[in-house]
Amino acid sequence: MPRTVVGAPAPTTATVPRWVPLTSLVLAVAGLGVAAYLTYEHYTQGTTLACPDTGAINCAKVTSSDQSYVFGVPVALLGLLFFVALVPLCLPLAWRSAQPAVRWGRVAAVSVGVLFVFYLIYAELFLIGSICLWCTAVHVLTLALFAVVALGTASMDTTSER
Amino acid sequence: MATKSSSRRTAQERARQIVAAQRKAQERQRRLLIAGAAVAVVLVALGVLVAVKFLGNGGGSTTPDTTAADPAVITALTTIPPAVFDQVGPGTVDTLPKVISGEPPLKSGDKPLVLYVGAEYCPFCAAQRWAVVAALARFGTFTNLGQTHSASNDVFPNTPTLSFHGMTYTSDHLVFQGVETQTNVLAGNSYTALDSLSAEQDAIARKYNAAPFVDSKSAGSIPFVDLGNIALISGASFSPKLFAGKTAKQISDQLSTPGSTVTQAIVGTANALTTLLCRMTNNQPATVCSSAGATAYKDKLNA
Repeated sequence: MPRTVVGAPAPTTATVPRWVPLTSLVLAVAGLGVAAYLTYEHYTQGTTLACPDTGAINCAKVTSSDQSYVFGVPVALLGLLFFVALVPLCLPLAWRSAQPAVRWGRVAAVSVGVLFVFYLIYAELFLIGSICLWCTAVHVLTLALFAVVALGTASMDTTSER
Repeated sequence: MATKSSSRRTAQERARQIVAAQRKAQERQRRLLIAGAAVAVVLVALGVLVAVKFLGNGGGSTTPDTTAADPAVITALTTIPPAVFDQVGPGTVDTLPKVISGEPPLKSGDKPLVLYVGAEYCPFCAAQRWAVVAALARFGTFTNLGQTHSASNDVFPNTPTLSFHGMTYTSDHLVFQGVETQTNVLAGNSYTALDSLSAEQDAIARKYNAAPFVDSKSAGSIPFVDLGNIALISGASFSPKLFAGKTAKQISDQLSTPGSTVTQAIVGTANALTTLLCRMTNNQPATVCSSAGATAYKDKLNA
């Protein structure tokens, strides 16, 4: 028979608007897909030895630039790891958890993601001079995730279960 | 008495709950305001970043420095000894031309036509021109070739190369048309325009620089070369990385050394092109087309 520990804190749960877990999970999974594609392209050297006739839209130029590595790690791989970490944090179960570590871990992750997106957009516009549409898709998804997580966390109601 | 006291407690408890609920609502309102502000700040900052880029000067410009080619470079490239072509044989070529069949022969007048479309800024065009000139020089004579480099802000920056802009090519065997659509001078987010494709050239490029004639990944890309409609090139045959840190003179100086990596790439590619050019010219000139270099790719290219 399970014993009840008197004085132990009651388990807690969080309530959040229903659209938040669903939207964040869809965005995180979509980001995971695009990041996985970019990582695959990076490691299989899928770029051709050609200049695309698309002006400023030039994925090969972006993904083969000096800025495509940070501390020796491919940016594409960092993006993949980011979304791998974010998908479980965006599951409905994780949103229902009132554990501060989960809540603030999710906020911290998307905040770091947004800062990184700032650097990458700056690099594309000012250092490389070209834009990669696949990378832009990841940037948009990260920004949208930031908005959903920020607003979702702010509207959370953490109450004790009785 | 007890009932009165109990109902007062209940009222107080209810009042406390109402106040707590109001505080909670206010707190949530405050958090939403902060979160909304954070999102707004991010969006505004991004907007500023993009506006600075596109309302600014577009990142400056480079100085146009396409000049007449150094005669020493041209001589070294256009008079590579036949023995070097033969010794290099297949050389080191990353991507061979794609042989096509069933298309009407591409001609200018009664001669087979080779059409090259590229741009001076493009590092892959920069690499490919060396081999194109080396191969075509065995069938005719170039005059007024320019000398330049790929864009300084692109991958493989400042790859030394030649330019077909303003050149002429004379041959008893074939016609060569070289079109450089853009310079290496920045203009906003692109480069200044140079040569325009004629209607015929545009039609050829539109039809054949597209899938299924070329790989869908490189469709529409440059360099594009149509070798008389028997073979197509969409992209460089080898990486411009080979030329990193070298001047045009240093590259051309290596062309008499068959073992050099630069020679293996340029002459190997030129041999592949020569194999196809010989098929276009019915193996003329015979001295070139019967050589070991010109036949090195005969089997691989079905020529």
